[in-house]
Amino acid sequence: MRLRRGVLAALALLATTMGGLAARAAPAPAEIKIGTLYASSGPFASISMPVFDGIKLWVQQVNARGGVYVKPFHKKIPIKLVAYDDQSSTATAATLYNQLITQDHVNLLLSDSGSVLTSVAVPIAKEHKMFLFDVSGTGGTFFTKDNPYIGLMAIPVSTIWPKAISDFLDDVGVKHGIKTVAILYATNDFTGTQASALKGFLEKDGKVKIVYDQGVPTSTSNYTVLINNIAATKPDAVAELGFPGNDIAFLRNLQDSGEKFRFVFTIYGGAEMDEVLKNAGAAAMKDTFSYVPSALYQYKVNFGPTLPQYHAAWEKAYPKGAGVEWGSNAVYGYMTGLVIQRALATTSGMSQLDLHHAVFALSGKLKTLDGPFELNGEGAQVGELTPIGQLQPNAKGGLDLVSVYPPQFAHGKAVFGK
Amino acid sequence: MLIGAIVAGVVFGLYFTLVGLGLNLVFGVMRIVNLAHGDFVMLGGYAAWWLLSAFGIHPLVAAVIVLVVFVALGMPLYYLIVPQLQRARDSEMLSLILFFGLSQMIEAVATIFLGTTERSLPGRVLGIGPIIVLGARLPKPWVFSAAVSAVAVAAVYVYLYRTRLGTLTRAVMVSRDEALATGIDVHRVSAIAFGISLALAGIAGVFAPFMLGSITPDIGVGLNITAFAVIVVGTLGNPLGTVVGGIVYGVSLMLMQTYFSSWANLLPNLLLIAVLLVRPEGLFGRQVRRA
Amino acid sequence: MRKRTLLPDLALPALVLIAFAIGPYVYSNELMLFNFVMFLALAQGLNIVYGFTGYLPFGYVGFYGAGAYGFALAVMHLHAPPLVALAAGGAAALVLAVVLLPLLRLSGAYFAIASLAAAQAVYEVVSNPALENVTKGPYGVSLSAVFAPRFSYDVGLGVLAFAFLLVVWLRNSRFGLALQAIRDDPVSAGMAGVSVVRGRTIAWLLSALVAGLVGATFAWHISVFYPDTAFDLGVSIFATVFVLFGGATTLTGPLLGVLILYGVYNAIGITVPQYFQFIYGALIVGLVLFLPNGLVSLLTTRGIRVP
Repeated sequence: MRLRRGVLAALALLATTMGGLAARAAPAPAEIKIGTLYASSGPFASISMPVFDGIKLWVQQVNARGGVYVKPFHKKIPIKLVAYDDQSSTATAATLYNQLITQDHVNLLLSDSGSVLTSVAVPIAKEHKMFLFDVSGTGGTFFTKDNPYIGLMAIPVSTIWPKAISDFLDDVGVKHGIKTVAILYATNDFTGTQASALKGFLEKDGKVKIVYDQGVPTSTSNYTVLINNIAATKPDAVAELGFPGNDIAFLRNLQDSGEKFRFVFTIYGGAEMDEVLKNAGAAAMKDTFSYVPSALYQYKVNFGPTLPQYHAAWEKAYPKGAGVEWGSNAVYGYMTGLVIQRALATTSGMSQLDLHHAVFALSGKLKTLDGPFELNGEGAQVGELTPIGQLQPNAKGGLDLVSVYPPQFAHGKAVFGK
Repeated sequence: MLIGAIVAGVVFGLYFTLVGLGLNLVFGVMRIVNLAHGDFVMLGGYAAWWLLSAFGIHPLVAAVIVLVVFVALGMPLYYLIVPQLQRARDSEMLSLILFFGLSQMIEAVATIFLGTTERSLPGRVLGIGPIIVLGARLPKPWVFSAAVSAVAVAAVYVYLYRTRLGTLTRAVMVSRDEALATGIDVHRVSAIAFGISLALAGIAGVFAPFMLGSITPDIGVGLNITAFAVIVVGTLGNPLGTVVGGIVYGVSLMLMQTYFSSWANLLPNLLLIAVLLVRPEGLFGRQVRRA
Repeated sequence: MRKRTLLPDLALPALVLIAFAIGPYVYSNELMLFNFVMFLALAQGLNIVYGFTGYLPFGYVGFYGAGAYGFALAVMHLHAPPLVALAAGGAAALVLAVVLLPLLRLSGAYFAIASLAAAQAVYEVVSNPALENVTKGPYGVSLSAVFAPRFSYDVGLGVLAFAFLLVVWLRNSRFGLALQAIRDDPVSAGMAGVSVVRGRTIAWLLSALVAGLVGATFAWHISVFYPDTAFDLGVSIFATVFVLFGGATTLTGPLLGVLILYGVYNAIGITVPQYFQFIYGALIVGLVLFLPNGLVSLLTTRGIRVP
């Protein structure tokens, strides 16, 4: 009997202490821990390392100013970046995401680049009720109504990218006599989703007819026969949607084959212009179309540096030849930092759902060097739409990626082949 | 479309003859499977890239340099690995595992030093524009690579059938034990064959950037399976049978691309399994089944 | 004699299972523990076919992938409860193993490569966009409806226990001894009345079953994955290296391989950029040349029996 009274007393004491603690504002932590992964080797290294360097640069800049302003504590707090190398392996990545959450107890969780390495983070973040800052994982399966623990930061979900291609062909192409299109795509998540979305958009509008539609394995490296087959269907336009290796091989084989099409589109001719240029050569790329990535297009911003300002900071932090090249992925990492910065400055609390609300509240309002930030209800990025550009010869004998569509982003006029 | 695919297939297949040729030579002489063969192709490609971008050396000259360097590399590598390996109980099986490990090492080193971005040689080095054969438009570099393959096959023929070394090599191919008994220096003959095999892989590599668009450190594993399919379809252990294997592979790949394009990658795998199961002896090869 | 060997053969797996059952209460990175359990089971599964028949399937990951997709298809299309789907995963791997039975007629090296080609072929089929309605093609599957990390971890332990038991049985039964006799000398074993074909077939199917169950548990535990993940050649490489490193035919060998190599991989892999592909490659080369029977052979060649 006495024992029970003792227990009750202890419980009562404990309850008051805890109540008292909760009533007082939680003390500000010494640092805000941000956890992320990067891939120093393997197939995703080339997209992962620039993103990681962009994040690091943002952390450096913020910490140099005394830390990031966190509204619930009304003060600046330094950031600690906790990062592990997943070497492009999903199994390793899964373990490490768990490590960040359960061992390092990070405050914010960022995924590695691309859909494959992000995929394993989605269920883990959901299970641990951690909001996932998804930098560039665009997989359609990630975004569901029942999961508030994800938001896509730096690039639109892959199903809406090709809207620009179909709108361009329907609005501008048709006026120039483009009536038929051939679609050739690599069968992976990113480009396969784009191809089926493009087909959907074109069929809905019904202005341009699809005369050829083939998927090839992503490892395809010779397109000679495929180009011959496409030519046999006599399309006005050809959209080849693949990874950099596919685009390089396609453009080279197209040049070698001597076939000409009035409109040729590749994804990485613009997105990874330098790399494709180095491998396929300017002659093979002249007058082809592509997306204009954020590293090559100056958006109006209402937060953070403009593209030239950021580019200068990047060149200073990572001098040329130091390893990681400047490109759109460098923008993606930094841009994610900017979203975090705005979210922490406006959030009502530090719980993961508070962060969710803070990030979603930025939707439609934030404009960074990556374009206008806009999330749909499921956390998929639907702003930051990529304009269509054309690789046009410049005065110096090289090629410039000139934005030609949509009109409000256009810097020049599209030139169709004969 | 059909004729175009067949013509392109023959040309493409001739190139893959070159890719498989060295693998078959090593198998024929040493009864071991060099599963790192594709990685030597990859290294040859990087060598050509480096020679051209740093010194402006034409790929044809690069091919000669690669030939010499790879023979010089191959012979010590043989003495380092193969004699020890052949003492084991099931050396054919163990060779597969061992060279698989070597392949992993080469790929890792290449990734560390060269990164994962695509590298290629500008097509204009070998000429731009199509060559029209029977109405099919073929890239000039393809025809070029196929011609080099033909020369390589001819050279291997001369080496095997018109030189004294070739006679000794064929004696080892027929029976290693009898060759030993008749006093042939089996190790020397084998080491040279091993060097030549790597050189053939390297030369195939020089033209890989033209045939495959670009190269990355991880192309080795895929090339290995393809090369193995090519030599199994031809005839295991008979280097010249590789020509048949290469052309069968090239033509059927192009036909797949034309009519079932998204399934094209199934082809080398199915071809390999089918031939192993249905006609494992190739045309006049040896027994690979047991039990 | 057999009793004396059976006891340590049962004690060792029991210890490992208990340790990993307690694990999640001590160490909260459950996924890391799960990966260990997964590779422990895969290594024993590979041990069944390699250790007892001498056949090394490079394409072992094919069964793992088949199991993962068998599980996923059962959940997506039949709305099967996880445990039923798990059985479907095992069944998928068994079916694949039956289809590939003719490969066993090949001798070792051809068998290894043909199995690799077969795994690649299955991957090409599963990931083909033409089958998007069935497998979701290259776009990956999401099984968030059945996501249950804790329960699936425990089931993973069950699969590991099953794999251990199979190896214990093979090591302590007439059948297992007959298999080893076939491995060492198929001709004389055949003449001594041992059914070569039947023996190999059973080992092959059991080995595939283990990989299929592991793959299915993996699919369940991770719940979102791509065909590239389920058919990642790295899985075959890891399992092979673990078995070779420790030593086949024993329980201890593959166990040591996983604990040491995968442990080092995780310990170093987390903090420094590493060159594991190179180190693993070098290990394979070194082992084949100098220690083809693995670490445990240091003891067994001295006449010490290792569980």
